[in-house]
Amino acid sequence: MEIVGEINSSTALWYISRATGVVALLLMTAVLLLGLLVSRQGKLPGLPKFAVTGLHRNLSLIAVAFVGLHVLTAVTDGYVNIPLLSAVVPLSSPYERLWLALGAVSLDLTLAIAVTSLVRNRLRRKTWKAVHWLAYLSWPVAWLHSYGSASDLRGGWLFLLALADLLAVVVAVGWRLAAAARDVPRAERVGLIMTAVHQRGRSR
Amino acid sequence: MTPAVTTDVPRLLPRDGERIQNWRAHSAKFGRIPYRNAAGSLINDIEASGLTGRGGAAFPTYRKLAAVLEASVRKRVRPTVIANGAESEPASEKDATLLWLAPHLVLDGLQLAAEAVGAESAVLYTHAHRAGDVGARLREAIADRFDDHVAVRLAIAPPRFLAGQETALISHLDGGPAIPRFPFPRVTEQGLDGDPTLVQNAETLAHLALIARFGPGWFREIGTRREPGSFLATVRRADGRPRIMELPLGTPVPEVIGGLGQVTALLIGGYHGTWVPVARAAKLRLDNESLSSVGASVGAGILAALPGDRCGLVESARILRYLALESAGQCGPCLNGLPRMSAALTALARGRAPRGTRADLERWAGLVTGRGACHHPDGTARFVASALRTFAAELDRHGRGQCGATNAAPFLPVPQSAARTEEDWL
Repeated sequence: MEIVGEINSSTALWYISRATGVVALLLMTAVLLLGLLVSRQGKLPGLPKFAVTGLHRNLSLIAVAFVGLHVLTAVTDGYVNIPLLSAVVPLSSPYERLWLALGAVSLDLTLAIAVTSLVRNRLRRKTWKAVHWLAYLSWPVAWLHSYGSASDLRGGWLFLLALADLLAVVVAVGWRLAAAARDVPRAERVGLIMTAVHQRGRSR
Repeated sequence: MTPAVTTDVPRLLPRDGERIQNWRAHSAKFGRIPYRNAAGSLINDIEASGLTGRGGAAFPTYRKLAAVLEASVRKRVRPTVIANGAESEPASEKDATLLWLAPHLVLDGLQLAAEAVGAESAVLYTHAHRAGDVGARLREAIADRFDDHVAVRLAIAPPRFLAGQETALISHLDGGPAIPRFPFPRVTEQGLDGDPTLVQNAETLAHLALIARFGPGWFREIGTRREPGSFLATVRRADGRPRIMELPLGTPVPEVIGGLGQVTALLIGGYHGTWVPVARAAKLRLDNESLSSVGASVGAGILAALPGDRCGLVESARILRYLALESAGQCGPCLNGLPRMSAALTALARGRAPRGTRADLERWAGLVTGRGACHHPDGTARFVASALRTFAAELDRHGRGQCGATNAAPFLPVPQSAARTEEDWL
């Protein structure tokens, strides 16, 4: 957007939508990184494990709130025409048809993840987990939506920020996959530890 | 294939050890299955009888029956009943013996329990090592019966120590590995296929079949007031051979063991049980009221007398090694703790333990307790703690490089094959 006019009552919603969109992307990135950490039972310096899980959960709620604000302000704003339905139905927006379709897909996936997590107690673990895996789809779609629909992100500091997000996620997923590849199958763990501790006892 | 059977209480086991394999012979002796035709009417009799689970936990049987009935009515599903004869405890042979000698009594109990909770399917679970003899006989026995209301499926438990634990058993029947999960939700709520499931030890069902015939008053004629009835025990005296005995609850220990003079200590309740010095054991009766005074319980009725020529420390180290290897490897405290405890006790038994090993072992036993999905770490810690207490003098002797034993042959049975891959749990 070349329009860098002043913020007034007619442009406020538009600016809020753009700003909350950027923050939502940052939060979603943080939530994904924390989720990757939680899935490996990892720790953050100075935090016990349950606090990492708590951070992941609470930050995800804040992220959803920002996404909600981002979507509502974009729909309400009259500068461009985005019907409310287009927030959830892909390819139904007259404005930026493709890029907003990605936003709608990401929102749908995010809502599915949020709702199943809120009623997790009532679901089988397998069901909840299957839906939760959609985060790996939701995040890249959200990133593409951000990059594609916001000219803000195509240059300058925000571009570097978007690039940093992408890099962080790629590195974290790589770490997650490498850690999983090193996993010892459950049935073989005890044998390994037994051999190790009994040998240590004998060598003394 | 059957160990020696002795019984003064011919309830479950025939007095002369002869098999009642044949359905006709069984019906001639006990009469036909006394179906009640109304779901739940048997549960009152079971409550009045005071029957408790004979698989080890001694949980009141009627409460499980009532819980499964209630849950299945509420959820509008038909539950499943499982007769648990997995007997994955290596020192126990009472369920296999019962299933061998009197299969129809267990199968009657399975039918009656199925009727009481409105079940439409039933499973009989037996140990892999007995699939050849007991399993084959059970198949014949099931085919022999003609008054069954629900079909009975025979299932074989893998030879893992934890495979008989009720959640492990259900995981196995659902096609997964025979590993336990957290006890909640209870299997009475969500068991096989997620539906309410009744899991009863095979012996418990045999008692149930007799109570259905002769009534709760008859059941209470023997045993103690608080713990009525009889139970099957696997008893090893100093000769080491297993003896299956049917005993009234409350039987004094000396009557069961006999010749306590050559014995140094008793293991009560199996490998999750408690070592008790012989002087204290001689004053005990076999009921939970008496045994709780030494931190023991009747459990699944395992009683072993350690002869004076063997070393209790070496025996315990061997058993602990087995228990550690049988950890399912799911929960950190068990996976990491049990192997270290095993290495420590082995080092103590070899007299090569560095200073502080005994204190480490005691501390670790406390640390693993209550921190697993199942009770494997708790039972193992109890076993180790009782060994350290009971064999304290032997520990000191080993610390000086000596050992009180003159016979190095292993006494208690410990399976040699440990699980190596996921296949071994299926």
